[in-house]
Amino acid sequence: MGIKGLTQVIGDTAPTAIKENEIKNYFGRKVAIDASMSIYQFLIAVRSEGAMLTSADGETTSHLMGIFYRTIRMVDNGIKPVYVFDGKPPDMKGGELTKRAEKREEASKQLVLATDAGDAVEMEKMNKRLVKVNKGHTDECKQLLTLMGIPYVEAPCEAEAQCAALVKAGKVYATATEDMDSLTFGSNVLLRYLTYSEAKKMPIKEFHLDKILDGLSYTMDEFIDLCIMLGCDYCDTIKGIGAKRAKELIDKHRCIEKVIENLDTKKYTVPENWPYQEARRLFKTPDVADAETLDLKWTQPDEEGLVKFMCGDKNFNEERIRSGAKKLCKAKTGQTQGRLDSFFKVLPSSKPSTPSTPASKRKVGCIIYLFLYF
Amino acid sequence: MFEARLLQGSLLKKVMEALKDLLNEAAWDCSDAGIQLQAMDNSHVSLVSLNLRAEGFDKYRCDRNLSMGMNLGSMSKILKCASNEDIITIKAQDNADTVTFVFESPEQDKVSDYEMKLMNLDQEHLGIPETDYACTIRLPSSEFARICRDLSQFGESMVISCTKEGVRFSATGDIGTGNIKLAQSAKVDKEEEAVVIEMQEPVSLTFACRYLNSFTKATSLSKSVQLSMSPEVPLVVEYKIEDIGHVRYYLAPKIEDEEAA
Repeated sequence: MGIKGLTQVIGDTAPTAIKENEIKNYFGRKVAIDASMSIYQFLIAVRSEGAMLTSADGETTSHLMGIFYRTIRMVDNGIKPVYVFDGKPPDMKGGELTKRAEKREEASKQLVLATDAGDAVEMEKMNKRLVKVNKGHTDECKQLLTLMGIPYVEAPCEAEAQCAALVKAGKVYATATEDMDSLTFGSNVLLRYLTYSEAKKMPIKEFHLDKILDGLSYTMDEFIDLCIMLGCDYCDTIKGIGAKRAKELIDKHRCIEKVIENLDTKKYTVPENWPYQEARRLFKTPDVADAETLDLKWTQPDEEGLVKFMCGDKNFNEERIRSGAKKLCKAKTGQTQGRLDSFFKVLPSSKPSTPSTPASKRKVGCIIYLFLYF
Repeated sequence: MFEARLLQGSLLKKVMEALKDLLNEAAWDCSDAGIQLQAMDNSHVSLVSLNLRAEGFDKYRCDRNLSMGMNLGSMSKILKCASNEDIITIKAQDNADTVTFVFESPEQDKVSDYEMKLMNLDQEHLGIPETDYACTIRLPSSEFARICRDLSQFGESMVISCTKEGVRFSATGDIGTGNIKLAQSAKVDKEEEAVVIEMQEPVSLTFACRYLNSFTKATSLSKSVQLSMSPEVPLVVEYKIEDIGHVRYYLAPKIEDEEAA
C-alpha cells in the first residue's frame, strides 16, 4: 500500500511539488488509472446503509456503479481515462500479501465478535476490512469499460509500474491513484483524489516528481532508496528508523549500502538478508508491457449494450444508464480546448525575490486603514 | 523603495476590471522601465499580459526590481474605494510584505490610504515568441464586445475566419446559428471607428466564447482592439492603453480531436 510517510516528507521538504487543482482544469488530459485500487475503493465506499449494492441475485455491483459514474464524471470534464489492471504480483510482494491476508483473517474474527456484541459501527468497520477484489469484479469492470468505449491495459505485473511506463512514454499525462509508489516507479505526475465523488468537493492533488527531486536535491536512485527506507510493499525496513531518520540518513550517505555501513549496529539492526537490492530493481526495471506498442483508443459507447449489461439482472436504472451513455457520446464529438503551455514554453522560474514573509504566505488577508486628513 | 503616481486614477480601476475576471491572483513585476504583469488563468487556456510604462506615470520611482504578489479580489475591493477623479499612488518598501495605495481627491482635501498584504506566488512565466501573424484585424472595441456577447448566446465556441473580403464571426448551437461579417471600412473618418484588415493568408480558428467575453471587460480601456491570428497558434487580443501601455490577452484555440480525424 504505497510508501509509508512519503506524502509527509514531500510536504515538508518540497511543498512546491504539490499543487491543488479543480477537476475541470484537466480537460483534454489523458490519465492512467490504477483500476484495481479504484475497484477496491468503490467496493468500500459505494454503499447504501452500510451494505454493498447488489443485483437481484445478491451479486455485488458497487464496483460497477463506481466505475460507471466516476468515469462519466471524468469524461464529462474532458478527461480521457485509461484503466490499468494488475497482473501477477511480483514474488517479492509475497510477504506483504501474507500480511494483508493475516489482517483480513483478524478482521473476520473481530467481525464475529462484533456481531455477537451487536456493535453495528464495529461490524461495518470490519466488513469493510474484509473487502477483497476478485477476478469476477475485474472481469465485469473490463466488460463495462469496453461497452463504454474506454480503453484499458492489462499489466503483466504491477499496475502502478505500468501506469508509470505510460506516463514516461508520453502516452498519458499522469497516473491517477492514491498509492504513492507510482512516483517511485517514475511516474512524473501523480494525481490523487481524481476518482473521488463530486460530493466530497475534494480538490485534486497533483504531485510532480521532478519538483520533488529538486526539492529534496536527490537523484532518482537516491529517491528510490529513500522510499525503500521509508517502507514499501516489497521488503521490510530497518526497525526503529522512521521517516525523519530515513531522510537524514539518505541525505548524509546518499545510498542504502553506505547507510548500512555507517549504521550504529548497537541501536539498529538491519533485517537479515534484507532484499533491498531486489526491491530497488523492481522499482527501476519493473516488468511492464512496452508502452509504445499499446494502442489507446477512446470509442463511441455502446448504449444498447450498456443497458443490456447494467439494467438486466444488475438492477441499474435504465434511464440513468441511458443518460450516462449520452454524456459519453457528447464528450466524444467535437473539439478539445487547447492549452497555452503547449504553445508557449514555460520559462524557468528565476526570482525567489518575493518580499513576503512565510507568515503571510498564501494568506489572503487584507488589512485596510483609512485616514482622513484635512 | 517603489512609488508610482497616476493622475488618471480611473485607469487603474479599469485595468483591474480587465484582469479580475480571469485571474484571482497575480504578480506585479516592477522595474525602472515600468510595471508588468503576466499570468495564466487557472485552466491554462488564456494568458493576460499587462504593460504600464514608467513614462506614463506622473511620478515613477523603482530603486530595485520588485515582484508583488497580489490577491486581485482584495485589490479590486480597495480600488473600489477610490473615486474616478482621484489620483492614485502605489507604494512599497524594498522587501516589504505589504503594499500601500494612496488616493488623493483632485482638490487635495481628502487623502485615503489602504495597506494590503502581499502574497508569495510562484507563478509560471511563459516565453512568448515574437510572431508575424497571418492576419491582424483592427476594429472598434465596442463592436467586438457586442459580437462576443451576441454570439455566445448560440454556442460555447465561436469561429473567427479572416479572408481578404473581411472577417466573419460565427457560432452554432442548439437554437441555431449566428454569423456576423465585417467588411474593411472604405472611408475612414475617425481612425478608431475603422475596421482594418491586414492579411497574408486566410485563417480560420475556433475559440471558447467564455474567455473572449472575459477579454472584452477591457473595452473601456481603449476605443479599438486588435486581433492577431495565425493557423494553429493562440489568438492575441490587444487593447492599447493611451500613453502608458497595453493589455494583451492570449487564447489557445480549440483543436480537432485527433481520433475523430
